[in-house]
Amino acid sequence: MTKKHKSISYAKWGYFFIAPFFIVYIVFQLIPLLSTFYYSFFDYYRSGLKVIGPEFVGFKNYATLFTPDSNGQIGFLTYFGNTMIMWIIGAVPQLVFSLLLSVIYTSYRLKIKGQRFFKTVMYMPNLIMASAYSLLFFTLLSNVGPINQIIMSATGSTFDFLGQVWPARTVIAFINFIMWFGNTTILLMAGIMGIDQSIFEAASIDGASAGQVFFKITLPLLMPILVYVAITSLIGGLQMFDVPQIMTSGNGSPNRSTMTLIMYLNNYFGTSKNYGMAGALSVIIFVITAILSFIVFKTMNSPDKGKKKSKKARG
Amino acid sequence: MKKRILAALVASAAVLSLAGCNTNNNSNSGANNSNSNSNSSSSNTGDSSSNGGDNSTPAGDDFVVDKKKPQLIDTGIKPSDSEGKVINIYAWNDEFKKMFEKYYKVPDGYTVKWTINPSENGVYQQKLDDALLNQDKAAADDKIDIFLAEADYILKYVDSDYTKNIADIGFSNASTIYSYTADACTDSNGVQKGMSFQCCPAGLIYRRSIAKEVIGSDDPAAVQEALSSWDKFDEVASKAKDMGYYMTGSFAATYRTFSNNTEGKWVDADGNVTVDPAIKNWIKQTKDYMDKGYTTEAGIWEDGNNIHQFKDGKVLCYFGPAWYYNFSMGNIKDQKKDADGNVIDETYGERNTVGDWGLCVGPQSYFWGGTWLLAGAQTDNPEIVADIFNAFQSNEKILKQMVEIDSQFVNNSAVNDSYATKSDFGNEILGNQNDWAIFANGAKDISLKNATGYDQLLNEKLQDNLKDYFKGTVDLDTAWGNYVKTINEAYTELKLPEKLTLD
Repeated sequence: MTKKHKSISYAKWGYFFIAPFFIVYIVFQLIPLLSTFYYSFFDYYRSGLKVIGPEFVGFKNYATLFTPDSNGQIGFLTYFGNTMIMWIIGAVPQLVFSLLLSVIYTSYRLKIKGQRFFKTVMYMPNLIMASAYSLLFFTLLSNVGPINQIIMSATGSTFDFLGQVWPARTVIAFINFIMWFGNTTILLMAGIMGIDQSIFEAASIDGASAGQVFFKITLPLLMPILVYVAITSLIGGLQMFDVPQIMTSGNGSPNRSTMTLIMYLNNYFGTSKNYGMAGALSVIIFVITAILSFIVFKTMNSPDKGKKKSKKARG
Repeated sequence: MKKRILAALVASAAVLSLAGCNTNNNSNSGANNSNSNSNSSSSNTGDSSSNGGDNSTPAGDDFVVDKKKPQLIDTGIKPSDSEGKVINIYAWNDEFKKMFEKYYKVPDGYTVKWTINPSENGVYQQKLDDALLNQDKAAADDKIDIFLAEADYILKYVDSDYTKNIADIGFSNASTIYSYTADACTDSNGVQKGMSFQCCPAGLIYRRSIAKEVIGSDDPAAVQEALSSWDKFDEVASKAKDMGYYMTGSFAATYRTFSNNTEGKWVDADGNVTVDPAIKNWIKQTKDYMDKGYTTEAGIWEDGNNIHQFKDGKVLCYFGPAWYYNFSMGNIKDQKKDADGNVIDETYGERNTVGDWGLCVGPQSYFWGGTWLLAGAQTDNPEIVADIFNAFQSNEKILKQMVEIDSQFVNNSAVNDSYATKSDFGNEILGNQNDWAIFANGAKDISLKNATGYDQLLNEKLQDNLKDYFKGTVDLDTAWGNYVKTINEAYTELKLPEKLTLD
């Protein structure tokens, strides 16, 4: 009896607890991921209600994606450019704005009241569906919408928000900004609150200015969280779909300048269920995401890591 | 031990439910499933005994329609026990659903399950295709019994094994149907797969008050005389512009008038896309109208077009069949209400323009749309499906109510002709003009010989992509290039010309 008791190991329960995650991951993530790779080498789509394929064609789908059109443009690169432009217009101000807000809200000097209230309000846009949000802005900014009526009564002519390249891109970036800045702010606030308060106190005793505190203490110690925020934002940006899709009825208008990579993918997948082309495009997006994430991770992380280590060693 | 298992179960349930959320978020469907049981038969005062088993020749001559009180009509069908209890119908809006629920008495103990998905961007077709391809695995009560289809893509389903030969379920065409409605749902082997409850000859719908100013009369004959050709149409458009009006409310308003008068098909048997001269004429006209400010840049279904249907509207002409002014312009029937929402005045809401419209043939006769009912190949309700089809082609009690209450131009020439000659019959939206007199003529000439299964996206995306060109954002070559890309992404197998030359 006593021997048996000794051999009881609770470790196996750990596997039981993590099993559900792995089962769900394998069924819903890993298998679809691998089959995407697999089908990207096939001709496999529907023509009407007839299913064509699957027939192995090697790299034909990839070649098609990189074939320039009559103007010498490679569609795929154009849409990648559109995606990155709209991400940058939205994400850079978002990061700056969120950083500013999180510093203000966590400042022990300002001690802002009603933090919970503001946190909730800032996070709220994220809870509304992107489609509902896009439709709201679509109606607000339409040529016969309320904003244009105000502009009309002030200037005598309307402003075509969604019919011009840069205004349309800016509107889409702005919606993404509104939707996600609350989320980023809360992540950064958590990061700042994780920094040891005694460092801030020591700095203020030494007479450091707010700017010095921010650039010499907050920012370096916040780097790991910032990297995380930047990478998740980049991945989210590359997958931008719902807002431009709804704002432009899937056309990426004007002149396909708001067509994102995932909208492009959806064009292949929507009507003809083209697993081959959509698969090839997904694989390329996967590779791009991996490369960009790696670059962001390297540029933002490596020099500061060295600094942190040396600080710790000294401390 | 039990506690541990329980904990594990709870944990896995939590994870699974989160995973569920995630997959839901990823789907971009605008799906809108609605179940509804048909109304009870309390309002059925009809003499159901008189039309026992013979549905094709109901005694309807003396039937009087009560406009205030639609009657559920009992066709007298007694389905055998082999019939499933649920009738599944797929549609993209509730036009047919509303009439079905008002007039067709579903046999006791049976329910109708409606699945409604929007038509834009091909969403309806995508959802329907997925459901059809899964019919083998679906439970009997989930199998699609009837689905609705439009002229633009009906061939895709008619020429497939997913629709049923309706001769097999005991349906045959009444002699009173318009023959094109049967041709449209007949496959290449001559097998008919469905029927239509409506016929859609279309005309030009004009605003009487504006016509008086611009043309000098609101009489349908005088307006028709002034707009009888595209050249005359251009003249009036220029005059309307000078007086501060738009000729049409949408750049795509006249599209159907051109596209349904084409000489050839969009796509030939080898997948080559040809742009018909009629479509080119539409492009030329629209570019001209946009440049000169005769029309707006709104799509036909957008607010920018629809707001002009109300009191302060500035648009002279709309194009459409009976369903357009009755169903799509429904908001003009605005009523004055008190604070509690009770109707004080039926005819004078702030936006109400009922009676300020007139109808004439316009520069070119054409048709637009039409909804067909197709029988699902694996339906478990063949008897009820056949009964519904019969009821909506020849049950005069149902058809007369559809004409008088819903202003549907039904697929029955006998019923329509009887209204076309009636002097006291008219549509209040059109100032009690008898619209049936105009449509009954146009209906006989409709032909659908140039339809292909690709038409919906080819038509819809042409308007979407050329809009940049019409607005002057890009040149024609770029806009056409975008169209070619859009179509080839959707249909890899189609071959489009690289350049579009208009002359």
